[in-house]
Amino acid sequence: MSPAAGFARTLRAEWTKFRTVRGWVLGTVVAALLVPLLAAVSAAGSHASCDRNGVETACPEPPLGPDGRAVHDKFFFVHRTLDGDGSITVRLTSMSGIITYPPPDHDEIVPGLVPWAKAGVIVKASMEPGSSYAAVMATGEHGVRMQHDYTGDVAGRPGGAPRWLRLTRAGETLTGYESADGRQWAEVAAVRLPDLPAEVEIGMFAASPGDLTVKQADLGGLIEQMRFTETTAVFDQVKVEGAAPGAWRHTDVSPTPGTNPGEVHHPGSAVESGGTFTVVGSGDIAPVGTDGGMAVELTLTGILFALVVVVVVAVLFVTAEYRRGLVRVTLAASPRRGRVLAAKALVIGGVVFAAGLAASAVAMPVGKHLLRGNGNHVLPVPALTEVRVIAGVAALLAVSAVLALALGTLFRRSAAAVVTALALILLPHVLATASVLPVELSLWLLRITPAAAFAVQQSIPEYPQVVDFYVPQGGYYPLPPWAGLGVLCCYAALALALAVVRLNRRDA
Amino acid sequence: MEATIEVTGLRKRFGRTVALDGMTFRVPPGRVTGFVGPNGAGKSTTMRVILGLDAPDEGRALVGGVPYRSLEEPLTRVGALLDAGALQPSRTGRDHLLWLAHSQGLGAARVDEVIGLVGLGGTARRRAGGYSLGMRQRLGIAAALLGDPPVLMLDEPFNGLDPDGIVWIRGLLRSLAAEGRAVLVSSHLMSELEGTAGQLVVAGRGRVVADMGVAELIEAASHDRVTIRTTARSRAMETLAGAGATVAVTGGDTVTASGPPAERVVELLTGGGVPFSEVTAHRATLEEAYMELTRDAVEFRADGAGR
Amino acid sequence: MNRALHAEWTKLRTVAGTGPLLLLAVVLTVAMGAALAATLTCPWGRCAQDSVKLTFSGLPVSQACVALLAVLAVGGEYGTGMIGTTLTAIPRRGRVLAAKAAVVAGLTAVAGTVAVLASALAGRLILPGRGYPALSLADGPTLRAAAGSVLYLALVALLGVGIAMAVRDPAASIAAVLGLLYLFPLLAHMVSDPGWHRVLWSLAPMNAGLAVQTTVNVASLPIPPWAGLGVLAAWSAAALLAGGLLLRARDAS
Repeated sequence: MSPAAGFARTLRAEWTKFRTVRGWVLGTVVAALLVPLLAAVSAAGSHASCDRNGVETACPEPPLGPDGRAVHDKFFFVHRTLDGDGSITVRLTSMSGIITYPPPDHDEIVPGLVPWAKAGVIVKASMEPGSSYAAVMATGEHGVRMQHDYTGDVAGRPGGAPRWLRLTRAGETLTGYESADGRQWAEVAAVRLPDLPAEVEIGMFAASPGDLTVKQADLGGLIEQMRFTETTAVFDQVKVEGAAPGAWRHTDVSPTPGTNPGEVHHPGSAVESGGTFTVVGSGDIAPVGTDGGMAVELTLTGILFALVVVVVVAVLFVTAEYRRGLVRVTLAASPRRGRVLAAKALVIGGVVFAAGLAASAVAMPVGKHLLRGNGNHVLPVPALTEVRVIAGVAALLAVSAVLALALGTLFRRSAAAVVTALALILLPHVLATASVLPVELSLWLLRITPAAAFAVQQSIPEYPQVVDFYVPQGGYYPLPPWAGLGVLCCYAALALALAVVRLNRRDA
Repeated sequence: MEATIEVTGLRKRFGRTVALDGMTFRVPPGRVTGFVGPNGAGKSTTMRVILGLDAPDEGRALVGGVPYRSLEEPLTRVGALLDAGALQPSRTGRDHLLWLAHSQGLGAARVDEVIGLVGLGGTARRRAGGYSLGMRQRLGIAAALLGDPPVLMLDEPFNGLDPDGIVWIRGLLRSLAAEGRAVLVSSHLMSELEGTAGQLVVAGRGRVVADMGVAELIEAASHDRVTIRTTARSRAMETLAGAGATVAVTGGDTVTASGPPAERVVELLTGGGVPFSEVTAHRATLEEAYMELTRDAVEFRADGAGR
Repeated sequence: MNRALHAEWTKLRTVAGTGPLLLLAVVLTVAMGAALAATLTCPWGRCAQDSVKLTFSGLPVSQACVALLAVLAVGGEYGTGMIGTTLTAIPRRGRVLAAKAAVVAGLTAVAGTVAVLASALAGRLILPGRGYPALSLADGPTLRAAAGSVLYLALVALLGVGIAMAVRDPAASIAAVLGLLYLFPLLAHMVSDPGWHRVLWSLAPMNAGLAVQTTVNVASLPIPPWAGLGVLAAWSAAALLAGGLLLRARDAS
């Protein structure tokens, strides 16, 4: 008999063993049902609404960027309409700002620029919030940058104002330049904006994101505080080339409504005097992080509960053999012990993957629908990202099951194996996301323990150009999705290898 | 306390399987009672019900006239060996006996006494996980003897014992019964009990098929069949048939008579002047008697015809 | 009853695993607490963190050892079939459960006292270096936190005994106990409505039970410290009751 045929037989035998124990099949079904069930429970207990002049209304949702993700698109814009190719050149002579303390003690206002305060020149597809754009800018602390379509960010030279900035449009290509003196120009970057129409808005802008501070709360939670900030940018030597007739128009893009109808909270402004433009703006042109809504993976929190059940089933799948000496029969039927273990791993991994896939594929759309029905804002992500989260979570459960199986083979004692598996996979995640540990320790736990695999469910990436509190509690993991899953796979592979060695060495 | 076990009308189902179906018997003191029957006849379940481990759907089991669960120091009343493998592997055999002793208010001295009694010796201080089947049986028997109980109940004690061990346990059982204890020993092999048991309770399909002394059982199974070797075959048949026996020709010079016992056959033949050279009373072996009794009760036939 | 206790005590001390698990529980409690106390800071110049709770913060980890000890004390017998022998020796079901629960909880309380006192000593030595007052058991709330921590561990042990008695399979039992302790609090995080959040938070045995360790901002807790420990006690009592009823109702094995 060929090795392949032999393995196929062992595989078939292990599959028959699995499906004929009612408790194991039932456990897998229960694990799968827990995911959509808890998604529904969680959605049912989460309502969101906003108060507008004493009336409860649906909360305003952030605009969507060109790739469908939620974005911030709030700034003060001094602009003209440009038809076809052209360019804008300005000198940014100064950049200053203020930072206020948040209510109720917002009586103090201090001068200063937050690191990502932005001012510069921009070409934008339309005045519609969320539309495609490219911009060259000076920043508070990150030097000159060329950014486009909310997530694109290229660094130029360090330093702030005074600085010459130029942005040219040639078809789909936008090129940004900077210069210290207006004579020696250096290219920052060139980007392609395929959705840009012939007529675009071109001009100067100022924006300043809120100043974030984070405080540890008593119940293991965090208190995030945003302070209002504002940037004042002064431009001169403004020159527009191309077909951009007419006067400069002033627009407060996505203004924050005030308490009274028609009022604007902290409106931006622009003053032109003798070719010098003073632009005051707040807000940001950037992607929205998890603080701007609920990430889709929140609908899959049930996998933690499913994981516990899956670990028990996987451990029992092997330790039950030792309980009453069935393992002697198994090893007599297929004497190659590594092959038996491989077949077991494949069966439990396959079954759990299928169950996990079905569970999360149902839970995510149902959970999203219910959450949105209750007025919550679920952050939209590209379809491929959703598929990655669903498949990744199923893989996480499957590989965890294989790790548990290997631990069961190593220990032969079911309780010890279950505790070890849960202590390796679940405990670091729970500790890291409950913010009972210092953040640095939490991040290390999620790098080096099998819990790193939970990174596979992160749908909102970390953006270096956005100041946010990137901690596990906020849904941010230190490793990229597949790398995190890879860590778990390494543990599972190592445990399987040790299990094979042990199985071969010891008497059944 | 009276040294008896009384089981009355026990019924128990596990799902659709009927495990006990009116099991009734009594184990008297002073002799070894064999509890035999094929696998699945309900022997172990009966013993578990006697010990209060399983609750019967109907009927009751009394030990010395009271339910087991109401006993204060049960191991000093009943010693039992049910599953010799039911040990935690990381505990030594001696420690296993020690906690049992403590549960009955007994001390370590009694533990070392029974360890010596069953011949476990130094092995008792090793972890039970490494014990052979025979060592586990000896440890289980030591646990049963721990409280020096007037009633003993052993489920398949011969399992895993070597021939020396089987001889030892037979002697032990006989001497325990001789001291006036009631001893119930189950087995699915009648041959193991031959020469040990004085009384037999034969179980099949959850009830008692036969409950009698070993001698009676063999007698019953033999059906008083007598084989006669004679040169005058037809005269012998006439004479015996005339006396009410059923007679059959079984060979050129042999006939078999069923009905009257051998002594009466000799008397009849001699009285009728029939010459004969040999009269053989047929005696069944214990095994044969058992097979005959349990023929209908066997649930799992080797030929698979039990459908 | 004394004999049942004596037997259970002999059982627990002669099975491998009891000593190592209790030792691990003590070491984890002290090490975690000391490590976290050593990283304590005074944010914005105010030393307002709950230094006492932090000093005893090894419990959320070491409770896993206690839970395992309790589950093995019961599940180990079901896994091997030895429960039959136990119930033959002590036919009264309630007595078996009570003796087991008492011995496991008692031993846990002893180990817990050692762990908490050692943690308190560590807190006494470490905290002044971090800008906080030395931990003193003479302080009312601190004494409550310390005594409550010992009781917490004992109650977790009782929870483990009760659940293992009801579930019987050791693997499923330990998963159930750990799931209840570690995952129930997640349910609270999964709902955003403040009312439900507080209710679920207060029902979670780990959250509610550990409320007894809080010494700062006690008023902001969803449940007062001793009431929180009472919630855990209710969970343990319910588990023991369920375990006892099932032990009585079911056939052994």
